[in-house]
Amino acid sequence: MTTLLSKFRDKSGRIATQRFFKDYGLIVVMLMVIAGITSIERNFLSLENMIGILYQVAIIGVMAACMTFVIITGGIDLSVGPVMAISGLLAVFTLESTGMSLVSAVCVGLLAGAIIGTINGFAIGRFKLPPFVVTLGMMSIIRGTALLIGDATVHLISGPESFLFIGTGQLFGIPFPILIFATVATLIYFIQTRTPFGLTVFAIGENQEAARLAGLPVLKTKTLVYTLSGVGASIAGIILASQVHTASAVYGNGSELDSIAAVVVGGTSLAGGSGSVHRSVLGALLIGIINNGLSILNVSIELQLVAKGIIIVLALALDRYLQSEK
Amino acid sequence: MLKKINYQSFGLVGFYLVIVIIFSALSPVFRTAGNFSNLLIGFSHIGILAVGQTFPILLGGIDLSVGAILGLVGMTTFDLMLIFGLPGYIAIPIGLVVGLLAGLINGLLIVRLKLNPFIVSLATMASFRGLVYAISGRQLFPGLTVMAIKDPTYLAIDGSLGHVPYALIYLIIIALITYFILHNTKLGMDLYAVGGNENAARLAGVNVNRVKIAAYLISGLCSAIAALILTSRMTTSPEGLGIGFELSAIAAAVIGGVNMQGGSGSTLGPVLGAFLIGTIYTGMNLLGVTQYAQPVVAGIILIGAVGYDQFMKERRRKELQAQLLLQSLRMKGQGG
Amino acid sequence: MKKNILLQARDVSKRYYAVQALSEANIEIYSGEVHALIGSNGAGKSTLIKILTGAVVPDTGEVLLNGKQIPHGDTKAALDAGIACIYQESNLVPTLSVMDNILLGRQPTLRMGVLDRKAQRAIVVDLLKKHDLNLDPDAAVQSLSTVQQKEVEIAKALSLNAKVVLMDEPTAWLSQVEVEKLFRSIRKLTDEGAGVLYISHVLDEIFTIADRVTVIRDGKVLLSTAISDTTKSALVQTMLGRQLSSEVNALQQEQAEKHLGFVALECRQMSRAGLFQDVNLKVHRGEIVCITGLIGAKRTELVRTLFGAELPDSGEVLIDDKPAHIRRPLDAIRYGMGLIPEDRRRDGLLMNLSINHNLVMAYLPLVTRLGLLAPDLFKRMGQFQMDRLGIVPPHLEIPARNLSGGNQQKVLIGRWLAGKTGIIILDEPTVGVDVGAKADIYKLLRDLADYGTAILIVSSDMEEVMTVADRILVMARGGLVASFQKGRVTQEQILNAASGEMVQ
Repeated sequence: MTTLLSKFRDKSGRIATQRFFKDYGLIVVMLMVIAGITSIERNFLSLENMIGILYQVAIIGVMAACMTFVIITGGIDLSVGPVMAISGLLAVFTLESTGMSLVSAVCVGLLAGAIIGTINGFAIGRFKLPPFVVTLGMMSIIRGTALLIGDATVHLISGPESFLFIGTGQLFGIPFPILIFATVATLIYFIQTRTPFGLTVFAIGENQEAARLAGLPVLKTKTLVYTLSGVGASIAGIILASQVHTASAVYGNGSELDSIAAVVVGGTSLAGGSGSVHRSVLGALLIGIINNGLSILNVSIELQLVAKGIIIVLALALDRYLQSEK
Repeated sequence: MLKKINYQSFGLVGFYLVIVIIFSALSPVFRTAGNFSNLLIGFSHIGILAVGQTFPILLGGIDLSVGAILGLVGMTTFDLMLIFGLPGYIAIPIGLVVGLLAGLINGLLIVRLKLNPFIVSLATMASFRGLVYAISGRQLFPGLTVMAIKDPTYLAIDGSLGHVPYALIYLIIIALITYFILHNTKLGMDLYAVGGNENAARLAGVNVNRVKIAAYLISGLCSAIAALILTSRMTTSPEGLGIGFELSAIAAAVIGGVNMQGGSGSTLGPVLGAFLIGTIYTGMNLLGVTQYAQPVVAGIILIGAVGYDQFMKERRRKELQAQLLLQSLRMKGQGG
Repeated sequence: MKKNILLQARDVSKRYYAVQALSEANIEIYSGEVHALIGSNGAGKSTLIKILTGAVVPDTGEVLLNGKQIPHGDTKAALDAGIACIYQESNLVPTLSVMDNILLGRQPTLRMGVLDRKAQRAIVVDLLKKHDLNLDPDAAVQSLSTVQQKEVEIAKALSLNAKVVLMDEPTAWLSQVEVEKLFRSIRKLTDEGAGVLYISHVLDEIFTIADRVTVIRDGKVLLSTAISDTTKSALVQTMLGRQLSSEVNALQQEQAEKHLGFVALECRQMSRAGLFQDVNLKVHRGEIVCITGLIGAKRTELVRTLFGAELPDSGEVLIDDKPAHIRRPLDAIRYGMGLIPEDRRRDGLLMNLSINHNLVMAYLPLVTRLGLLAPDLFKRMGQFQMDRLGIVPPHLEIPARNLSGGNQQKVLIGRWLAGKTGIIILDEPTVGVDVGAKADIYKLLRDLADYGTAILIVSSDMEEVMTVADRILVMARGGLVASFQKGRVTQEQILNAASGEMVQ
């Protein structure tokens, strides 16, 4: 029984050593990075800093977890950055201008992400347009739309405390964003391993036409994975807005890179057909650790950008190397 | 040579004329010669980027880093001239070399490490942009923020011959040269071969790696040229120079008939595509539409162009099927 | 002409993970000679060819050309040394012209890499005339029919002026006329001293064109002899290890008079522009119907439309005499239909997923409890299918990629047996399947039909059609032109109908 479940967790047929390397190798790298940075800057390992990292990781992590299915189907979602921004903006505006409750405001934000994601999914699934181009175009469209709604300015949130709790509160001593992240990731993992939907996602990534001819609901599944990705970006955007007490159309620019990096570094192949949410979680952790580490070491933001690019390339190269070993 | 101009070009020209007519009707300023002159000046660099972008797209790849390379080259020449005091005729070649190097990095990563060009150029886009900020002269020496490039050789890059801006001339020359390469040289033939069926090309002995690297080199070089033109015109190089240009370049190329799956398209279409986009932006500006609407339009154009391309492909396939059926019926009549 | 060894593989071995594709295989190709290579699928023929052309690196052994060793894994070196190959898969660039494809990678150039179009055209026109190929040099390859594309591939190989030409199933898409053209070209080649290695399943062809024949089974060379020294049945026996004809005869004897059941599947006035027009057909419960025809008769398109993989322009489908609304494969499956596509690797199996996944995929609701997948049901169903179909190796978790062609086909059939499938459509079910598995599959289909399943088979294999079908339909010119009962028709009549001639 365990063998079967583990086949759901990851692409079946992969040789054991590869999976071992990926799963445990990632943790090893993480420990090495932590050790390395701590040796230079003692403060890195402090509890305060670690918790700070977790707050950051939650945002990238939610997006990466929700984007995992998209990537397993062989697609990608570049529009997540602007979706974050617009969700934050809409949630805040709803809260401030209308009398609606917190829950409604959050729902509005989530709905925005869901709608945008579904449009992406529809264009990709039904009209068979290339995911890269569609989400690239959508990224531009949403960025412009967000600017049209909110200008390039930053809007201060004067709303209820409850909104701020989302991003900064703690429940049982655990930061609330982490709880959100953990819940989302667990839910998606469950879907991935135990539902027909999850199996369909892998099948589509493996061979879409064969999956279709075997009667799997390809169109619906392909569309929904983008909806999920959009919702993930919305959640991330709302958490972010709550954390920094502001919302702006320019937030989230470049987070698609972080999100993709997390998934890629985590070991999910961009070619599709294999991967897992737990990988993206680990990847997000690693990215978060590296980001924070670089800041603590006083590496300038510019060079952090350079580093991020290099990391993605390295992760891709490693993935490609492992692929060719098959 | 005429064979290469297909239905898509006619559709494009038609669409272009419609847009021009609409904007001319709506805005009196649009109709002026001055406006068109501005248009040509203002979007020639996008045209150059689009022509450069054609090459990676022909291979079925893409270069998302062109905007970042543009910024990098601009910042490099700016620093060289204003911090190190180098003359223009030295800074210019160095700038071009930087563009080539950036393209080489893209090419090598994609070829040697066999990585997905989309993600790689996304990563290099981030890295190059980071470099731009890192080497930004204006940040290192705040005094430079108000200084302008004064080197005469450099400034001469962006001038005009009577009413015709140099930028347009560069664009036309580049478009013609690249057109010639694509349709009349072995490199061009190999590019189409690799883009159309990489495996077949490899088995036929084509040096696939070299062809791929060449494509990204050309893209990098075109970014460098565009950078020189722009920074010469602005006499400075802001850190954000080039952000978002890649989208326009890709949209222009796709509208211009360069198929994203690779193997078909040419460099004249992207030129037209660039001006189409430029016309739309200019028209929007003149009508008082806020700048923020531009990215929205750009995105819609990109998705629309790709969708249209897909739609036409489907239609062509069905027509082909019908044709083949007729053919086989005729052949059977001949004696099978 | 003194015959000398042109190309030789010596003791080559190749292992792909658990599968030994080739072990110490030896083969010699003499000049002026056609050497046929036969064997069941998965026996190692394609691997051997790929080693000879440098597309695959062998684990041991060497390849010698004219006695000199050539480097492994270097396709360019092999090309330069004069080894040309026509692979099974298409190696043409669809967006380029015929002319550019024939001289792909070798277009003549002037100074500085500028193409010499005039010289290129002259070479190509000359070549086409020499080998009687009626192709337009400027036509885009993607606008050509499959047959014409194959001819371009042949021209491409011929243009290399190669010393050795390897052909992997070259006649797979060709009609009789084109096969004869090919054979003439091959003879021209051998007359000029070249050597040809010819892989094919069609024994008749081999006895026509080949001088020597080599039989491979399970990666080992079992027999290498002159054609004149052997017979068809001897070859089959070596390939298989047993006789085929006895199996076939036994099968035919089992086909007692059938009581036809109700009409399970019917289509009326089904049309798709440019493909077929006003097609009417019926398949009864317990009946095996074969649709045959020439290549290009759009039979695959017809059955795909029946299955909902494509939409028709007009017409209706009835299942059990009731109208069925089929807009996608999932609908067809809900009506109890199953399709085994023509290209099992591309459209059928999920190659990297396990056998278990592939078997169970079409009927996931049967292995879910409360919306969740139940691993025990999953495994149980998979195991059941494997046992029933006799799929070797008996291990559920192996990826489908690692199975032989015959076993892959069985898995695909098994997929539909998981649930209540009343109508099974098979498209060229035994292409690339070894003779032993073929017999197994025929027996399976017969059993299913006896059980009440309606079976529709698209086949170009006359022997298969004559063996297995209760009723034979012929498709030509975009429609069904003839219908014959088993036992009351000759192959010649079928071929005539397929060519569009009137049938008495």
